[in-house]
Amino acid sequence: MVNQSKLENRIIPYKMLKQAVSTTYDLVDKILPEDGMPALRIGLKYIDLVMADFIKKAGEGLPVIGYHFAFPSDYLYCFDCVPVCVEAVSYFISALLPDGSEPYYDLINSWGHPFHTCSSQKGTMGMTLDDLFKFDAIITPTAPCDNTYASYPFFRYHKNIPLITPDLPFLWEEKSYIYYAEQLKLSLEELGKAIGQEPNYEKMRAQIELENETNKTQLEIFELKKATPCPVENMFNPLSAAAATFMSGREEKLDFYRDMLEIAKFRYKNKEHHGGEEKIRSIWPYMIIFFNLGLCEYLDRELGMSILFDIFNYNFFDPINTKSDLDTLFYGMAKKGMSLPMIKQSTEFFYPFIDDCVRLAKEFTADCYIFTSHLGCKQFGAVPQILREALRDEVGIPMLIIDLDVGDKRMTSEKIIKDKINMFTQTLL
Amino acid sequence: MSLNNDPFLNISNSIMNSYVKEWQAKSKKVVGHYCTYIPEELLHAANLLPFRIRSTGNKDTDLADIYMVRFTCSFVRATLDMALRGGYDFLDGLFICNSCDHTRRMYELFDLKVFKRKGFEKKVPRFYIAMPHIITDEGFEWYHKEIEEFKEEIEETYTHQIISDQDLLNSIKIFNKNRDLLRKIHELRIIDAPKITGSEALQMSMSNSSIPKELANQELERILKFLKESEGIKSNVKRIMLVGSEVDSTDFTKLIEDSGALIVSDSLCFGSRNFLDDVHIGDGNNPLKNISKRLYYRLSCPRMMDDYDRRFDFLRNEIDRANIDGVILQRINNCDLAGCDNMLHSHRLKDLEIPVLDLDREFYQADTTRLQTRIEAFLEMIK
Repeated sequence: MVNQSKLENRIIPYKMLKQAVSTTYDLVDKILPEDGMPALRIGLKYIDLVMADFIKKAGEGLPVIGYHFAFPSDYLYCFDCVPVCVEAVSYFISALLPDGSEPYYDLINSWGHPFHTCSSQKGTMGMTLDDLFKFDAIITPTAPCDNTYASYPFFRYHKNIPLITPDLPFLWEEKSYIYYAEQLKLSLEELGKAIGQEPNYEKMRAQIELENETNKTQLEIFELKKATPCPVENMFNPLSAAAATFMSGREEKLDFYRDMLEIAKFRYKNKEHHGGEEKIRSIWPYMIIFFNLGLCEYLDRELGMSILFDIFNYNFFDPINTKSDLDTLFYGMAKKGMSLPMIKQSTEFFYPFIDDCVRLAKEFTADCYIFTSHLGCKQFGAVPQILREALRDEVGIPMLIIDLDVGDKRMTSEKIIKDKINMFTQTLL
Repeated sequence: MSLNNDPFLNISNSIMNSYVKEWQAKSKKVVGHYCTYIPEELLHAANLLPFRIRSTGNKDTDLADIYMVRFTCSFVRATLDMALRGGYDFLDGLFICNSCDHTRRMYELFDLKVFKRKGFEKKVPRFYIAMPHIITDEGFEWYHKEIEEFKEEIEETYTHQIISDQDLLNSIKIFNKNRDLLRKIHELRIIDAPKITGSEALQMSMSNSSIPKELANQELERILKFLKESEGIKSNVKRIMLVGSEVDSTDFTKLIEDSGALIVSDSLCFGSRNFLDDVHIGDGNNPLKNISKRLYYRLSCPRMMDDYDRRFDFLRNEIDRANIDGVILQRINNCDLAGCDNMLHSHRLKDLEIPVLDLDREFYQADTTRLQTRIEAFLEMIK
């Protein structure tokens, strides 16, 4: 007889995360007034539902597929599987569990993983080393960074997990989309062989259509952020990142954005700001800080600083044509795959990124930029100063750079981060 | 006679050398590149002198630190620093590929901050090759197309005429000979009484990448003849294999060799990885494709994410062949690629009961006492 609990235990960190999500949701729901922290309340509600479903499916024995956040999980719905986002699990455990992912960072560090590699992968590597995850296969594009090329081979060469690596080329060009489309198709076929299933592309089409719809809703929210005050609270950003990484191709993701859109429209109409008064409009061109989501609320309420968006919330894609043949479908998937946060920036020279930042600063009337210079991200290591100069010269606004690890509270403490932002804020007001 | 103060080896001690000056005095172009995935034979066939960018002797990264955050690779920062101070103003072209996250951004930083800096008027063309990160047939087709486009760009920019197959074949023969000579010298390094130290081998490799290959071949022939006739190093020092990040300074290799060891083999990009195999000539058809094939399918750098087993197999064979006593894995801090490869190497070597030391370091020689203590302790530990 199949032991359901044993099967579920192939994704123990998801069970941990589910418990943390449920508990936090209960607290938010029962303690805060009805209009308090809606992004957190709504986001957790849907993540909780999705996590529950994943755990149930693991219990039914479906294969567990690890995927890089740069591989849209809606593409995985051509299989019956339990998708596990390698990077997101590290960072949302870091956000929601009291001890965070740090014990797992330490575990893999002591096994020899260099301290300077990305903590988003480090956490899941530590968990896998400790056999808390039992992946049937893992899929990652060969992007966006050295950490990906360097860290993922651990899964194949030490844990003997089939690792499928669609090659994602450099440069946004026609030939790149065609090449990546072929890579995606070959990879899904290879993944199918690894887990013993034929890819069902018709099923995948439906999930992709859902994503097209979700993308439209996200864009509507994005447009509303041009208003002053910004009608979307800071906490939306990390929850939206969670939605993008955990819930792609799911109804719950669309519901999350639809609910948020209603709230944003209401606030827009009434010129309401979540924190009371908007004093500073900031753009975070890179990641927000995952180990301390409370910072979002602190900035809104204490400093009146809006985070208009972070890297997970200003990259959008052209809708994928789902009505045509398979080649067209994969071409659209490839184009989308190269427009994802971080992939978009790392598959090009950094000039378009700088241009985008300058344009966004003007369009969204930003007062400043805050760049979280994350220890793991070498691909952005040559960008901050150039961006700072461009914003100064072309928009006349300053940029604060904070060196930190966005998923490890020990590198730069919460106090130092707050102090830096506070001092920076004083120079702006 | 010894290789101490050998004029050829001494070329490695600085960036500029008399051969480069002579080359440019004849109105010929020198082009810089960071990575061994750049097809040097093609550059040679275009009558360009490929110069492998390094930062030998530079201990400062102050200027580069403005543009690159501190957790990027200190080797790349040191090269940028040198360039910002004018050390690479002699270049007539820059060839970048996406070898790693640190070097690939040199395309933009050289553009914005080195070649457009105040007082620097020369127009320096830049080129970019996008390499796949896995080794597959489809990846090869991609890479070869990149090389074909690269050839056209070179013809447009420099030669203003087609680079013929015959030109390419001539260059291939010169480069194959170069690699053959390096292999022969390497064979004299791995024998029981090595004829050359690791530091000397490194110097030789750096010099080789800084001057015209025809001249380098003459020098290597001279050195090979000399080494064949010389007495080997007979001592009981430990025989070490050095593996990992880029090394272009003998400060580090000497630190190891002065601690009671001899580096008799390596897996480094300024070392054996670069001369293991030749471009296949066959019937002489499509030489460009054969250049692409060698570069793409050769023993990879850790940037190739699906080729770890082959890299480890090379280590394993070389350990036997060179009678290695212990392996020193090293990474320049913030080099994720070498760092993670070393992590896997370390466990596999330990499983095979091969002594292994995993070191992290900066590109420039810093933290010497810590490194020396660790190296000496490791050498003592080896039975």
